[in-house]
Amino acid sequence: MVKLRARCILVGDAAVGKSALSQMFCSDGSHFQKNYTMTAGVELLVKSMSIPETNDSVELYIFDTAGRETFAETCEKMWGQPSVVCVVFEISSLDSFNSCSRWLERVRAHCNGLQLPGVLVGNKSDLASRREVETAVAQEWAREQGLQYHETSAKEMENCDAPFLSLAQAFHAMYQDRRQIIQRLSWDPTDHQ
Amino acid sequence: MLNTALNSFGAQVLFATSSDENYPPERMIDGNMETFWLSTGIFPQEFIIRFPDNMKISVISIHSFNIKRLRIEQSTNEEAEDFKVMAEKEFEQTEGSLQTNEISLDCSNATHLRFLILSGYDHFVSVHKVGIQA
Repeated sequence: MVKLRARCILVGDAAVGKSALSQMFCSDGSHFQKNYTMTAGVELLVKSMSIPETNDSVELYIFDTAGRETFAETCEKMWGQPSVVCVVFEISSLDSFNSCSRWLERVRAHCNGLQLPGVLVGNKSDLASRREVETAVAQEWAREQGLQYHETSAKEMENCDAPFLSLAQAFHAMYQDRRQIIQRLSWDPTDHQ
Repeated sequence: MLNTALNSFGAQVLFATSSDENYPPERMIDGNMETFWLSTGIFPQEFIIRFPDNMKISVISIHSFNIKRLRIEQSTNEEAEDFKVMAEKEFEQTEGSLQTNEISLDCSNATHLRFLILSGYDHFVSVHKVGIQA
């Protein structure tokens, strides 16, 4: 049994629903903010995710970051070294989707060359009648960037756990991989003849 | 002395910031390079080794993997408190082998050593063996 810890950077344009999504996830659906308040800095939320079919878990430290450019630069300083990234846009705004590559680059710049598992989230799936970003288009871009794609509706409590479970699983898989590499590396054959 | 298992003369790991039950921190001081402690995500990571007596230490040796920046602090107190920085070092990255580093100190006294792993070349780092020369 192991409890891993991951620093999850949550980014995307202002008002796409990053805070709604993370609060929905962390409160198990009991907390949807009906009134919009803009996040001005970074809000830290912590939640532990169990990894299915194991006794392991990943504690996610979610850095919910202001999407508004005026605040973004200050927020970056609080990220530290990211473990995983969650980039959010809203399916009813093409602009917010187009910003995703810029957000992703911004987080990657803090990684010092370390691998960064990530997800792309199309939020506000309840606004399907006003959809500006087709699922296939978002999926294709996510694939190119090595991200998993999920659509969610924080408002309708739809699928909000999925992106975070995906991140926890990717981080856990990376741990297992590194664990095996180190195990192999430290095994000295001359001691086992 | 550098090759002696620290636990053979009563040293113990008092504390470590993360632990996988399969890779407990005691593995760093059992003298066996094949067993190790593995960090479980996010820097800094930290562990504290307690000695049975006040020790005069001239060299600390560390076998590890993917540690980038390490700071070592000492305490001469009976409790693990009042730590002072002894050394800070950036390790070279290795591939296919462990990192082996020796850090010289000018015969400092210590009852406790605190190791702060400030950064890594990967998300997870391992420590296989810590040795000291008195």
